[in-house]
Amino acid sequence: MSYIDAGYAIAFGVLAAYAALLWRRRQRLERSASRPQGHSAP
Amino acid sequence: MSSSGESAVAPWSPVATWVVRGLGIAAAVALAATVWLGLWVTPPDQVQHNLVRLVYVHPPIAWVALYLAFGVAAVSSALWLWPRTRSRFWDRLAASAVEVGTVFTALTLVTGSIWGRPTWGLWWTWDARLTSTALLLVLLLGYLAVRRVPADPDSRARRCAVVALVAAVDVPIVHFSVDWWHTLHQGATVLNANLSPTIHGSMAWTLLLGFVAFTLLFAWMLAIRYRVEVLSEHVQDTELDVALHERWAEGTDPVPAEPGGALV
Amino acid sequence: MWRDTVLVAGKDLRIELRSRVVMHQVVPVAVLMLVLFAFALGPDRAPMAQAAPGLFWVAVLFASVLAVQRSFALEAPDGARDGLRLSGLDPAGVFLGKTAAVALQLVVLEVVLTAGVVVLYGSHVRSYGSIVVAALAGTAGLAAAGTLYGALAAGLRVRETLLPFLFLPVAAPVLLAGTRAWQAALGLGAGNVGSAGDPWVRLLLVFAAVYLALGVVIFGPLQEAS
Repeated sequence: MSYIDAGYAIAFGVLAAYAALLWRRRQRLERSASRPQGHSAP
Repeated sequence: MSSSGESAVAPWSPVATWVVRGLGIAAAVALAATVWLGLWVTPPDQVQHNLVRLVYVHPPIAWVALYLAFGVAAVSSALWLWPRTRSRFWDRLAASAVEVGTVFTALTLVTGSIWGRPTWGLWWTWDARLTSTALLLVLLLGYLAVRRVPADPDSRARRCAVVALVAAVDVPIVHFSVDWWHTLHQGATVLNANLSPTIHGSMAWTLLLGFVAFTLLFAWMLAIRYRVEVLSEHVQDTELDVALHERWAEGTDPVPAEPGGALV
Repeated sequence: MWRDTVLVAGKDLRIELRSRVVMHQVVPVAVLMLVLFAFALGPDRAPMAQAAPGLFWVAVLFASVLAVQRSFALEAPDGARDGLRLSGLDPAGVFLGKTAAVALQLVVLEVVLTAGVVVLYGSHVRSYGSIVVAALAGTAGLAAAGTLYGALAAGLRVRETLLPFLFLPVAAPVLLAGTRAWQAALGLGAGNVGSAGDPWVRLLLVFAAVYLALGVVIFGPLQEAS
């Protein structure tokens, strides 16, 4: 694998992974934030 | 901003949702186009041959990290510290910008290193740009560490804002002094990203597209991260309220008093 | 403000005179660092002498972390910090007072370290004047930035590990400039000219001025963080 390919792969890979992480974190939080009080375990 | 009584955070307005979604789609399209143009369509450079293709990725990422993200973080922190403009919005924005910026800063160093190795044979060198970027990364990690320390939102915002401001002051000082270090030191080689003298045609357009694409990506990530910040603050408040309610419920239960039983 | 500065500085220094924590713990650790560097670089003195400026400033940097931690540990017990906050003292004065106390302790340390460097590494000081100026300017900057971060980290349970991580990157320019200034004063380093240390001393002064100003402005608001 050439340096260029590695560079592109790492850059886009990390950004994609971070984007996915953010997205999933947001989805989980949207769900638990809309749950009525008392059901979410502290 | 205690959430006692509220059961949910207000969702984004339709306009906001539409804007963010638009940003995301635009970013994805622009990035895809950048990759396609960068890796296949544009010609190799006269001097750097195929290695020049990293110019469509590294400088835009560096721009986002060092100027856009860090700039937003520093300005937001200042606006929070200034009593007249203080608002939770700035604190959350700063925290979001710092986290996204940390990812971009780390990538700046990695892509720069990957570019440097075949070009100059070095994984790393202590020139002004690399050194101050590395230092910025450490300072951003420091911000994130302070952010994690449990504290009330106001104190936490205060501490983080100070960290961001000190970083904003320090990075230029570091850059300047390392630069000086090299120019005053006899026999130092100053490494520049030397492209061929003129970058024109498809390469210039692709470079511009790269800047636009990564900026859009940053904006989208910032928005999502901001939303995450709002939501997680709310969830924490809610959990605290639930815990408090349960505690109070214990106190008011008509349990027959045991000798030496629980005090209210 | 200046009256409060003297008051707070006096209090901190008097506590130090009585308890002698810095003199008996911090200074020995710094000197020990010089010895350990010798183990790392020796046995010939030449590499040590060559590296002496940098080693000196590294030792000073680490000692300043300890000194700042000590400075804020003085107020840790029993709400002394709240007492200080409510005492009506000008926060800028408190900041400058604590900074001055830390700076003074560091200067004492540096005198000892200079002697250590001369004795242990065989360094020859060509120009004492520039050494003194560089050391004072650098120390002022370190004390100011350290006190600012010390206030930030004070009261946090993770203080011990967080303070170095926050403070040392910010202190990096002092290390850089101080070392260059010392290299010039010791006649080391490539391309050394007598006045080659001057731009670095200027940088140290700018650094000190910036962080003193920043601290004066921000220390007050920062104290409100519980």
